Amino acid sequence: MASIVLSNVDKIYAGGVKAVNGLNLEIKDGEFMVLVGPSGCGKSTALRMIAGLEDISGGEISIGDRVVNHLPPKDRDIAMVFQNYALYPHMTVEENLAFGLKLRKMPKSEIQKRVQEAARMLGLEQYLKRKPAALSGGQRQRVAMGRAIVREPQAFLMDEPLSNLDAKLRVSMRASLNQLHERLGVTTVYVTHDQVEAMTLGDRVCVLRDGLLQQVDTPQNLFDSPVNLFVAGFMGSPSMNFAYAELTRDAGGAAVVFAGYKLPVPDSTFAEKPGLDRYIGKKIILGIRPSDFEDSVAANGNAAGWVRIPVRANVTEELGSEINVLFTIDAPPVEHKDTVAAQNDGDEEETTLPLTGDKSLWTARVNARSHVRPGQNIELVVDTHNLHFFDVDSGLSIGHEANIGR
Amino acid sequence: MRHGRLSPAVLRKYGFIASFLAVPLILYGYFVVAQYIQAFQISLTNSRGISPNFKYVGLENFTGLFDNDVFWAAVRHHGLILLAMPLATIAIALFFSFLLNLGGGQKNGRMAGVPGSGFYKVVFFFPQVLAVAIVGVLFQAILRPDGSGVINSALHAVGVDPVGWLVEPNLALWTIIGVMVWQAVGFYVVLFSAGMSSIPKDVFEAAALDGAGRFTLFFRITLPLLWDTLQVGWVYLGIAAFDGFALVQVLSVDRGGPDNATTVLPLEIWRTAFTYSKYGVASAWGVALFFMTLTFAVLTLRVTRRERIEF
Repeated sequence: MASIVLSNVDKIYAGGVKAVNGLNLEIKDGEFMVLVGPSGCGKSTALRMIAGLEDISGGEISIGDRVVNHLPPKDRDIAMVFQNYALYPHMTVEENLAFGLKLRKMPKSEIQKRVQEAARMLGLEQYLKRKPAALSGGQRQRVAMGRAIVREPQAFLMDEPLSNLDAKLRVSMRASLNQLHERLGVTTVYVTHDQVEAMTLGDRVCVLRDGLLQQVDTPQNLFDSPVNLFVAGFMGSPSMNFAYAELTRDAGGAAVVFAGYKLPVPDSTFAEKPGLDRYIGKKIILGIRPSDFEDSVAANGNAAGWVRIPVRANVTEELGSEINVLFTIDAPPVEHKDTVAAQNDGDEEETTLPLTGDKSLWTARVNARSHVRPGQNIELVVDTHNLHFFDVDSGLSIGHEANIGR
Repeated sequence: MRHGRLSPAVLRKYGFIASFLAVPLILYGYFVVAQYIQAFQISLTNSRGISPNFKYVGLENFTGLFDNDVFWAAVRHHGLILLAMPLATIAIALFFSFLLNLGGGQKNGRMAGVPGSGFYKVVFFFPQVLAVAIVGVLFQAILRPDGSGVINSALHAVGVDPVGWLVEPNLALWTIIGVMVWQAVGFYVVLFSAGMSSIPKDVFEAAALDGAGRFTLFFRITLPLLWDTLQVGWVYLGIAAFDGFALVQVLSVDRGGPDNATTVLPLEIWRTAFTYSKYGVASAWGVALFFMTLTFAVLTLRVTRRERIEF
């Protein structure tokens, strides 16, 4: 096992398109690193450069202590799992697993042992004599995984390995992947466009956009303190609500004012976000996570710092354990380039219909006990400790440690 | 729909299918099947192709075949062509198409051919564009037995005596096989290239990561995945090996010579029918050729049949 270090890695395609731009990333020994971003952000290209399937236009990649820039893929001691499985269609499962070992001239008994071990680990024992065409998608994916495991490489590289599976299987394979990583402890680089996969799998998550690194951190930190509007909008589902707001301070303390609402900003927030006080009296972009709302009835008697706001529920999505309440606020939607990018191809969903006119559509995630119905007026409470503030021009999160001095 | 009566919907459906099938089936029936049947009939007669009066002579024409040295020479030639020509063509075409499509290794994330492969693809296809007669005339100039032939003058330059490519009885057939291969390779390069491009690229990438070099990539991945295409090529070439009429006619000395050293069945059929005017005998040769080709095709499909590969 080994760490993987990318320093100032560039990938420039013919025609001058920069798919990866000065990427710096250190993946620690045994870490599960997820590269996430919308399609075309360079995440797959970065992975393929680590694998040696793409030339490196600039910078340096090292695996362990070796700089691998000019090593062919087979000498990098890594194994890769492809989105379309890339199994050898003319070989049985057993031959598929053993192929890489045979080419490395490993003794027969050792090959046999490793194949059996991997097959047992992945529940493939009864399929060893079958060809890939006779397997289901999930089984093929496990064979692809097994082919990586038997090699016992320095690192696993996975390129959207779950995206061809159906939703239910994807969730169970995600759990298996997690266990597998616990058990083997091999350094893993995992590429996905699915932020839920990224959050659940990664020890750390690296968010990329247009070939540029946005933020690398643990999933919780990415969620709690996104570095800019893009990361804020991309991570989390349903995504963060945004609105233009003004930061004010009067005798009663600091507050954000937007769309007729006034939310007090606790003093602790100013302590956590140095530089925020300089924005007093100016326009900012306010961000509130749907999960920082609650129905005031269901949240009866909640702690201090929760403020009530009355809204009218347009749509409710009942998910069983909770309800997504969609409501409009009387403010124009935030049309920052970062939020648009995060919304547009985050999950390959179609963009929402422009039914809300010049108003912003917000989402609140409330407890299922709320029993709110579409068209009802309800009172929501907001946790004002978790407000997010972004600079209107740069889209950077105000007071984020990575942004100080930027 | 399944109660057997001809409802309008059924009529429409089958009428639609029949309207497509009718014309080709009639053409095929009249110009191919009927002719074969007639050939079977004529092969049992002493027809000379001139008068409508002929007698049935039973299997006499066929028994005559077995005593005919020229027939056996031609059959032997077909055997040699059948062994050498498809093998050489497929081997060369495979080698070229591998170089053209995968031989350059990884380039910008995809497998690429050697530099300039787009140009070579066109060049390799040239011979296919030429009519066989033109190929024959071209190679007559190239293979002239005296010092002014293209090859012999080159050989002369390095001090080798002129070789009688087409006049040496032991060499002539091999020379003609060489020309056949030269003409066929281009088409099979294109055929195999198409086959290779239908193999998913990530299979090659996975193999590269597994440690496969170009050699392994070719023999362990490309070749097995190309098996279906190869089989098609083998059948085509095998059937072509039972022909060779035009090339032998134009290229060889004395049409099949020297001394029947290069003759083939279609040429002898042609000669028997139109030069000696023995239609009955010629038809018997034709029937023999028909069964040889049929046997070959069935055998090949049987032997090479195996599990279809699904991607």
